[in-house]
Amino acid sequence: MAKTVNVNVHHVTRVEGHGNIVVNATDGQIEKVEWQVPEAPRFFEAMVRGRSYEDIQTIVSRICGICSITHSLASTKAVEKAMGIEVSEQADKVRILMHYSEQLQSHILHVGYLVSPDLFGLPSVVPLAAKAPEVVLAVIRVHRLANEWSDLIAGRTTHPVTLKPGGMTKFPSEKQLRDLQERLKKGVADLKAVAEAVLSAAGAIPDFTRETEYVSLKQDTPPTYTFYHGDITSTDYAGTVGINDWKTVANEYVNDQSTAKWTKWHRPSYAVGALARYNNNAELLSPLAQDIAKMFAMEKGCCNPYMNNVAQVVECVHVVETSIQMIDELLTTGIKNEKVKVTPKAGKASGCVEAPRGILFHEYEFDRKGNCVGADICIPTNQNHASIQEDFEKLVPEILDEGEDAIRLKMEMLVRSYDPCISCSTHMLDVQFVK
Amino acid sequence: MKKATVVLGLGNPLMADEGIGVYLVDRLVSAAERCSGVDFIDAGTGGMSVLHLIEGRGKAIFIDCAFMNEVPGTLRRFTPEEVRSTKVLAHQSLHDADLLRILSLAEQLGQCPEEVVIFGIQPEVVEMRQGLSVSLMDKTEYYLSEILSELDV
Repeated sequence: MAKTVNVNVHHVTRVEGHGNIVVNATDGQIEKVEWQVPEAPRFFEAMVRGRSYEDIQTIVSRICGICSITHSLASTKAVEKAMGIEVSEQADKVRILMHYSEQLQSHILHVGYLVSPDLFGLPSVVPLAAKAPEVVLAVIRVHRLANEWSDLIAGRTTHPVTLKPGGMTKFPSEKQLRDLQERLKKGVADLKAVAEAVLSAAGAIPDFTRETEYVSLKQDTPPTYTFYHGDITSTDYAGTVGINDWKTVANEYVNDQSTAKWTKWHRPSYAVGALARYNNNAELLSPLAQDIAKMFAMEKGCCNPYMNNVAQVVECVHVVETSIQMIDELLTTGIKNEKVKVTPKAGKASGCVEAPRGILFHEYEFDRKGNCVGADICIPTNQNHASIQEDFEKLVPEILDEGEDAIRLKMEMLVRSYDPCISCSTHMLDVQFVK
Repeated sequence: MKKATVVLGLGNPLMADEGIGVYLVDRLVSAAERCSGVDFIDAGTGGMSVLHLIEGRGKAIFIDCAFMNEVPGTLRRFTPEEVRSTKVLAHQSLHDADLLRILSLAEQLGQCPEEVVIFGIQPEVVEMRQGLSVSLMDKTEYYLSEILSELDV
């Protein structure tokens, strides 16, 4: 049946920032399908120029309230590589523990507060709290656990203060690690409950696939489902690319639809995030995480972007299970008090980690006093814009007969499934007085 | 151990006046000795993490940059019931959860402190740069004394 459709969603709900969805079709002929990102570009890179290498991680931690640990870690790794600074095995492990806390924090928030309302057919988590309070309370308990975990290792819930080039300013005590481990073990039950709840509503996950290139980190020695070490790979590429060469992967370009830069590698677009990590590294997941993936019949090579949220649930379980084991390893060797002394020197290098929403690159150059003379940051959300556009172009013709409301919802859900972070640097209130 | 009252500074110091909450809460930490029953927390742009920072408290005081249609630098003390959010961009996003919606979720879950007070400060400049505008900087002592009076110090 010929259809005329006009969908114009300005500022997708439950995704911060300016992200517009536009669909125009007349008599079944699609005239326009666009994912537009018209927000003002931001210039964090300019803010770190002239600043000391010791201050970089503190400044970039404020780029994002959700990925603050991730930004701090990527910048610290870049600083260390640029100046040839070695990091102890203990500091390395504790940093990974810190990073895992942020993965859990972000994923459980995204799945619990933003995706679940879509799956249960509700406008937001507020009515969901009334309809399924036990699910929301389990989500909140896991979120609290993740926050307290990051409080312990990072020094506070967001914007970490314990990281420094060369190591950490403070390590958790063995007792604190044992307590955390106990709590993580108890948290597994809540995570299983969340996974069961998502599974119960999985029928609402749209059945849509598009052959996609997925880009993530890959670590071969030792083989690890990595968020922190390793090099860059993709589902279209059997080898790996070194982190300093990330620009040959991202190939950033400017697009008329967007003020944010877009990226492409072997195809006109690629995707990053939990599903990308899963598709490149699934066999390295922890045992329980593999069980959760099986529950959803999820397999390596999955090209349904909506399944990114299931991959996030799987990763929640993975980071908890892996951390329980890492704490055992730390306790076996015992926590030592490490003092770090760093002598700055000139250099240029890139640091990379997996943010919860995908691979993140930071590049810095320093003069011989350790002052920053150049910086470049490539965030995961920008790497997903072209993929969202390509998904839209395939999805819309498939659902054109479903009516404007269904089209709008599926497109909004698609954007949300990527867990984008379009503008997360501000937080102000905007209010009208009613009394 | 959580204290009965919490003062939370919200905002981003990389966005000029948007960082006023963080700036003031940092200054208030020096008053901590006089306020034994109060935690002062720089909550930055942590969004939903606010839920856990207020849970189990008797009173929560927020300091945040607020568009209130006032002269830049104006401070207003209000409760969540006295305002409605006109923010159109933030709908429970991870990245910019609207404070008023977080508070209504906390209410619904029975985890909201009995008393919630917000100190909103009208910004002059919200753009990418560090440091407060003159309109706000000139009034920081006044802001601090107003917030401390709320704490009976």
